[in-house]
Formats: sequence, C-alpha cells, structure tokens
Amino acid sequence: MDKRHIRQSFLGNEVGEVAAMAKATIVGLCGGGSHVSQQLAHIGVGYFNLVDHDRVEDHNGNRMVGLTAEEAERNDLKVDVIARRILALNPNAVIHRYPTRWEEVAAELKSSTTIFGCVDSSRVRDRLERFARRYLVPYIDVGMDINTTSLGFSISGQMILSLPDHPCMRCLGFITEERLTEEARRYGHAGGRPQVVWPNGMLASTAVGTFMQLILPWSKNLHPPLFLEYDGNRMTVSPSHKVAALSGRCCPHFSGSNTIGDIDWT
Amino acid sequence: MKFQFRITQELLNRIHQDLSRPHPVAQERVGFIVCRVGAASTTQIMIAESYVPVDDADYLASRTMGALMGPAAIRKALQHCYQTKSAMFHVHRHEHRGLPSFSPVDVRENAKFIPDFWKVASARPHGAIVLSWDRACAAVWDPNTRAPVPLTSITAIGFPCRRQGAAYG
Repeated sequence: MDKRHIRQSFLGNEVGEVAAMAKATIVGLCGGGSHVSQQLAHIGVGYFNLVDHDRVEDHNGNRMVGLTAEEAERNDLKVDVIARRILALNPNAVIHRYPTRWEEVAAELKSSTTIFGCVDSSRVRDRLERFARRYLVPYIDVGMDINTTSLGFSISGQMILSLPDHPCMRCLGFITEERLTEEARRYGHAGGRPQVVWPNGMLASTAVGTFMQLILPWSKNLHPPLFLEYDGNRMTVSPSHKVAALSGRCCPHFSGSNTIGDIDWT
Repeated sequence: MKFQFRITQELLNRIHQDLSRPHPVAQERVGFIVCRVGAASTTQIMIAESYVPVDDADYLASRTMGALMGPAAIRKALQHCYQTKSAMFHVHRHEHRGLPSFSPVDVRENAKFIPDFWKVASARPHGAIVLSWDRACAAVWDPNTRAPVPLTSITAIGFPCRRQGAAYG
C-alpha cells in the first residue's frame, strides 16, 4: 500500500486504487467547492472535473480555501487556482478544467463517479440534479445561507445526497417552484450573498464523508444520510426529519420514459 | 472509445431475483437488460433502464447448454430493441462469488446473436453481461468498430456504489 494511504487503510486494501480511479466533478469552486476539492485531493481521488466560469476576486479570500492574495490580485480563473492546489497535494491527479457554465461541458460530466454541486442558485441545483439522475450519477449538494432574524442573524446550510431510487431534492422540499420563482424574480439584483468559511468547511466535510461512504464504506450497513441540516447558530448537524417522512415512497419526479440517458430525438 | 455500464442496485436485485427462479426445462435463466446510452467525447455510458426476462415458454430443452433461447426469445428481444431503440445486453448468471468470465459457449453464442441487434438499432452498442452472486463481467459490441471489447467498468448505484466489474468507474 502506498504510504500516503496508510492512515486511511481502514477503508480497505483497495483504497488507493478506488480513490485513484474515482472521478469527481465539482461545480462551483469557491466556498464549498474549494473545501471539497482540497479534501478529495488529500484522500487521493485521481480524476477531477473542475467547473466554474468565474475568476477570483479579493472578496473570495474570506472563504475560498487555498486562495492566495497574489492569485486574487491577478483575478486568476477559479479552475486554475483549485487545480494548482490539487496538484500540489496529488501530482498524479488528472484534472479537466472547465472555466465555463456546466451545461456547456455537460457531455464530459456524464462519466463522473459523483457530482458535487457547490453553487448558490436553486435553478442550477435543480438542473444539476436532473442531469445527474439522467446518467445515474450520485449528486451531492452543499450550500449555506445567512438570514436576518429578530435576534440578529442565523447561519444554516444543507448537505443533500440525491441517488436514483431515493428521494430527490424536490421530494425533500428543498427545491420548490416557489423558491425557483423567487430566485428568478431576484435575478440581476446587485449584491452577493453573505458567506463565511466555517459553515462551508463543515458542510463540505459531510459531503466528502458521504462520498467516501458511497465508494468505500468502512462499516457494514452504513447508510449515508440523504439530507443533513446545519444549524450554524447551535453548531449542530442533524439528519432532516423529512427523510423519514418519505420512507417507502417512490420519487415521482424522475420516473417515466426518456428520463434516462441521452435524449433520443429519433 | 471507453465504455461504462451503470445500473441501480434496485434493478440489479430484481434481475438476480428473476435469474434465481427455477425453470421447468432450463438449468438457468437468461434475460435482457434494456439500456439507454450517454455519450461523451471518449466514453459511452450504458445506463440500465429495465429488464426483460426471457419468457418460460421461449426456452428450448438442451443437454449441453444451461439455457438455450428459442427463436421467439430472440425475436421478442429484437422487437423490443426496434421499438425502443435501446442498447440491449443479454444477461445470465454463473453461480459463484467473485469475478465471473464468459465461458467458451458464452463467447461462441454471443458472437452469433448480439450483432443481430444492429439490424434494428444500428447506432447503439449492444452486448452481454454475465453476473456472479456479487460481481459481473461484460462485453460490448462497439457500433463503430463492429467488434466486441471487454467492458470492465460496471457499477451498481446504491448504498454503497458497488464495483461489479474488474475496474471502478
């Protein structure tokens, strides 16, 4: 066994091989995505699709793990920043950089082992999940929010695992038509949403842990959580009660003909 | 061109259940996995959509083969392929644990009828997959080269995502 895997040998003798052959797609490389990329690189994941159309700026510095002040000043592409950090940890990693919107390179994402959605937009999440379901790719979504309350602010977040034959984000009430409509209504309004590093780190770690449970379970009867809710004020991460409420129910949102594979127009 | 095969654990379980049913004439059961295809620049992904067992009446008695499909079985599979324009994978099971492999009879018989699916869905990859109790081995007939190639990246998607083939992908 390669020495770098000795401390994670409890994951099995094949940990090096399985990690090296895994292909992680990470859409969104700032708050959550930078943490996810870093941890996957440490584990030894061998293939990365890095997808983000954006360039780094000074204000990313408060939460984009690994970003240097020099890179921020240069306004480097986010895919380049993260690629450099991954290669510094794992020089053998194969990295495909896509400084564009994910839809434009969707074909290359079909063969992913898992897609991590680390984006701000519900509309993008919705479309990523639909895409992942179409190609039987596990989709792991992470995100955080800071909302104003009567007492000040509340920090919240989620980690959702979307797997075929299991509840989707619509089943779980996370993606709703109301949320999509409200987002469309606010589209174009100036101002970024508040974001800080520690909730992203917490949520990204649960996402990576869930990914590892999927590909290298370390205990029998391990059942990755489908929906974890983060309460950043109480500092808790808890399974959502919504999953239990859906027990035994089939997801109605991805059934029917022509929901699998490439759309055949013939 | 590289190939991957993906199937949900739930569908794979149903296939195993069907293949476990005893048959009055045949020693083993066979069926077809109906697949859709996802195409990327260097990879084609076969995505199992459904399973069509060979009907009980469509087996022929044989003293030399565990399961011998009659002409009706082939005709029904071709009809299904024509109507759905799917990629079709013949499936059967070897009764052991660990990585299976195609027997000489499997190889010979697959070569006879798998290419026939191109008569009704010429642009699709078609193939054959042999299961064991916990692993799988497959071959895919590439529509571009018209030749079979081993398909080692076979994954059952579920809790966990289980590598079935020799490779993980």
